[in-house]
Amino acid sequence: MRTEQRLHLCRGTGCLSAGSDRLYEALSQEISRRGLGVQLKRTGCHGFCQRGPIVICEPQGFFYSAVQPQDAAEIVEALAKGHAVERLFYRDPKTNEPIPTYREIPFYKGQLRIILHNCGHIDPENIEEYLAVGGYQAARRALLEMTPEQVCAEVERSGLRGRGGAGFPTGRKWQLCRQAPGHEKFIICNADEGDPGAFMDRSILEADPHAVLEGMLIAAYAIGAKDGFIYVRAEYPLAVKRLRIAIAQARERGFLGKNIFKSGFDFDIEIFEGAGAFVCGEETALIASIEGKRGMPRPRPPYPVESGLWGRPTNINNVKTYASVPHIISNGADWYSKIGTDKSKGTAIFSLTGKVNNCGLVEVPMGTTLAEIIYEIGGGIPHNKRLKAVQTGGPSGGCLPAGLLNTPVDFDSLTALGSMMGSGGMVVMDEDTCIVDIARYFLDFTQKESCGKCAPCRLGTKQMLAILERITQGQGQMEDLARLERLAKSVKAGSLCGLGQTAPNPVLTTLRYFREEYEEHIKYKHCRAAVCKGLVKAPCSHSCPAGIDVPRYVRLIAAGRFADAVAVIREKIPFPSVCGLVCFHPCEAKCRRALIDEAIAIRALKRAAAERDDGHWKLKVKRSLPTGKRVAIVGSGPAGLTAAYYLARQGHAVTVFEAFEKPGGMMRYGIPDYRLPHDILDAEIAEIAAAGVEILTGTKIESLEELAGFDAIFLALGAHRGMKLGIPGEDEVGVLDCIDFLRRVKLGYKVELGERVAIIGGGNAAIDAARTALRLGAKATVPVADADQEVLDASRMARRLGAKEVRIIYRRSSTEMPASPEEVREALAEGVQIEFLTAPLRMTKENGSIRLDCVRMRLGPVDASGRRRPEPIPGSEFSISVDRVISAIGEAPEIPGGFGLRQTKWDTLLVDPDTLMTERPGVFAGGDVVTGPASVIEAIAVGRRAASSIDRYLGGDGDISEILIDPEEDAPFALEEGERPRVPMRTLKIPERLGGFREVELGYTAEEAISEARRCLMCDLEER
Amino acid sequence: MTESRERAWGKLIPLLQGAQAEQGYLSREALRRIARELRVPESRVYGVATFYAQFKLTPVGRQRVMVCRGTACHVRGGARVLATVKKELGLQEGETAADLSYTLETVACIGACALAPCLVVNDQVYGRLTPQKVAELFDKRRTP
Repeated sequence: MRTEQRLHLCRGTGCLSAGSDRLYEALSQEISRRGLGVQLKRTGCHGFCQRGPIVICEPQGFFYSAVQPQDAAEIVEALAKGHAVERLFYRDPKTNEPIPTYREIPFYKGQLRIILHNCGHIDPENIEEYLAVGGYQAARRALLEMTPEQVCAEVERSGLRGRGGAGFPTGRKWQLCRQAPGHEKFIICNADEGDPGAFMDRSILEADPHAVLEGMLIAAYAIGAKDGFIYVRAEYPLAVKRLRIAIAQARERGFLGKNIFKSGFDFDIEIFEGAGAFVCGEETALIASIEGKRGMPRPRPPYPVESGLWGRPTNINNVKTYASVPHIISNGADWYSKIGTDKSKGTAIFSLTGKVNNCGLVEVPMGTTLAEIIYEIGGGIPHNKRLKAVQTGGPSGGCLPAGLLNTPVDFDSLTALGSMMGSGGMVVMDEDTCIVDIARYFLDFTQKESCGKCAPCRLGTKQMLAILERITQGQGQMEDLARLERLAKSVKAGSLCGLGQTAPNPVLTTLRYFREEYEEHIKYKHCRAAVCKGLVKAPCSHSCPAGIDVPRYVRLIAAGRFADAVAVIREKIPFPSVCGLVCFHPCEAKCRRALIDEAIAIRALKRAAAERDDGHWKLKVKRSLPTGKRVAIVGSGPAGLTAAYYLARQGHAVTVFEAFEKPGGMMRYGIPDYRLPHDILDAEIAEIAAAGVEILTGTKIESLEELAGFDAIFLALGAHRGMKLGIPGEDEVGVLDCIDFLRRVKLGYKVELGERVAIIGGGNAAIDAARTALRLGAKATVPVADADQEVLDASRMARRLGAKEVRIIYRRSSTEMPASPEEVREALAEGVQIEFLTAPLRMTKENGSIRLDCVRMRLGPVDASGRRRPEPIPGSEFSISVDRVISAIGEAPEIPGGFGLRQTKWDTLLVDPDTLMTERPGVFAGGDVVTGPASVIEAIAVGRRAASSIDRYLGGDGDISEILIDPEEDAPFALEEGERPRVPMRTLKIPERLGGFREVELGYTAEEAISEARRCLMCDLEER
Repeated sequence: MTESRERAWGKLIPLLQGAQAEQGYLSREALRRIARELRVPESRVYGVATFYAQFKLTPVGRQRVMVCRGTACHVRGGARVLATVKKELGLQEGETAADLSYTLETVACIGACALAPCLVVNDQVYGRLTPQKVAELFDKRRTP
């Protein structure tokens, strides 16, 4: 065991590209300048390239990431003094906690590095280091103590299956080759790692080439071959270089050449560089390439083990397969067969890339689930985005959705679902990845790489690609999906080699698991990830459910034309102020500016425009002749009022029936005044009434017969009925429903909360309830982590009021919490405490208070929705004492029995997805009453669709579009260079907030709005 | 065909690689010379040279820019990187500048997936790219 101080500096392709050579110089100089006895070693790839350049201090195990040459002095100084440079430690992406040693970093901790054991710990250009860790001992044992038959038997017993993708039992393949007649046989190592996204073979060749040489030596002995080839792709120059050095050194020591270990066995290896053809990863094409021909596959049988290179028996295996062999010979087949599953023994190496926090090489026992790899080791999805799919097996594999993340990774489980493990590529995709584009991407790749020899592949992939191109450009037809499936089957069945046989897999799996996305592209010309250039003018407007022309109004704001901006907004929605205050802005989630610094503050800009309206849009509103038709709308929330507005513009006589005292629905009763002041809501509703809409409040409709005189009915009842917690004690202690609570506060009723309030739930409603409770005089408890001056002020002031404590109890973690991050941030700043991963068990009355028993949760396996299901941690129960419990776990619609309409098990209404009509002719429905709780903007969008559909039903043309501002020539402003973060939004100071319900966000000044708008990249003007 | 002739053909690809390493591309004369050396029809040599993506039959620029279009790079915005490179260099994929300063190509995967999106200029790998960084990269090269 070596105990002297060593610094391991990674010199894999990744770290080299980040400057590790210059770092080596700097460290070297520092060490000699100080005369320290520190050994500076150059190692190969650790497999965590994203964090490079990487330096590891042994024997402590300190892991430094992103090290720059200027850090050298500090590192060496720290070593001399016996401590470490904390600033360079790896930090947990979620908590930002530093983790000093690589053994503790989840990325490494979760792995079982057998094949990758030496990678990053030895100098690949020095054979002594390989020997010092036991190198070539396995080969010695095989050649001197075992017969070739015994070697084959041992490998077969271990259960090792080929790691190139096909998974054929290695020992059996060797046996077949050994038994094939002929004196001249060959060993080939397939290092043509062509799967885009896979780089484990490269890492192994660069970091531990001798492991591969040793494996080949043992294999050659087992089958009786004298000559070996390593076929490395041209795109890996460093791997080629390291292999050449390794082979030369092995020859010097007698591990290659004649009479190895004095056993009488001869074997030597030649390197053959690939010339850039993915198809040459296929064994017969590879062989053709070595023979100096075009890389075209041959029909099998005969298999290479009988007739391969130049017609001789040839054993071809992948880099990882050979690298596994020395371990099996050293430790025995029994040891190996204990790792992994029944049919898939040993470990698998994945190159985990894409939208995941920790990208790199992951070696785990077969049978580990996708969820463990992506979440425990990979650290989850960055930027809190949702995982959409995980793609395995490269262009031969498939995309699996989030709901299948509990699938164990091995040869058979993934294949059963239509994908495959392949060579180990694992690409994680999130909500910003378009799955149709991915299918197109893979087909584009296989089409380019198709050798052309057989018609099904050559022609079939071309036709499939053409169809996918059309779909992504908005010219798809529904029949295309059936065409794709038919073509896919033919290509699979008729192709000569694995490339063609598996090329349709990405298409087939995406059709199987993501069919809605294909249909959205075709039927609605909508790309939900906002990627397909043929469909998406600008990602912001494409993602807006109402289709507001965002780039246009942002450009108008940049020119100081606020009232004109309002006109553009009002062409699509009648609630510019409301949305400017409370919209959850799906547009910002797709804003391309986020790639540079931060997304444009589109919502804030909308508000800035609405505040400076001069009403000139009214001059151009649509005026229609009265149609004589009457429409009844039940519910005056955003869906109902929007539909009312557009129907009135079409000339129909519209009456809105609202059960509550005032109109507005959730906008009024669900959103507190400090977010949406009621006078602003009143003003926008007044404009709708001014369009000719009659709004009758305090009128509840109990049955549709009451509306018999109307020609069409639109039900926009929303979803207000709070769901019950379903835990013991709920009724006895008097749990308050969240929406009920918020409504009462709005109406001015006094609500007794006591001093300590617990709110169960994690959505925006829970946050609204919490922040409202605080303002009613509950105490703000200062969470230690967020203590800053403002929060301390708040707690001091709150204590002066003799106030209470407000806690939110949420059963999942902050990543899964549905509430918008900005709301959570403000809640925490105001002093709300949030207990994550906590669930309530029961409630009892105790000494005048409520005792709430809770249990801590941990995230378990992934459920069908793709989220990790929380499970209770046994023995972690605890109790808190509160005065009031508010439940905010979701709402359901409450539809009067007299309506007589079919409802789903969630009490929502069923409608035709295109016309929005229920099963009763002339009765339409939309909004939360159909979808369950959603958002204001989605309700507004549905209100538009309903108005259009109802207008058509009543004999109109369904065209509700308006032009409120003359179309102009696009006048782009000059794009600024460089980064500039978002203009911050000023908010009310915490102490001023908590005294009442004053608006928290103060809005932009005109200068601030113009400045923010000028950050826009004007994606809609991009050249196609 | 005798066995030794068949084995000799195995030298074709390494010979082509060697010739390209010297001249930067495979000229007509080089193809002819190799065909004669191996006693192989020129059409055979041409067929192999055009099958593999590595071989260039026209002169290449001094700076070979290879933009990676692997899966990881694609998912992390590789298309925008390529679009920016095309704009900066004024070249389409597969084109070489008239003054032989640059050649632009794409490659299926260079194996630096953890640093996606990437590109390579001659032997130097550049990772973690954004359109901004790409523009800076080529600006620096233009005004050294």
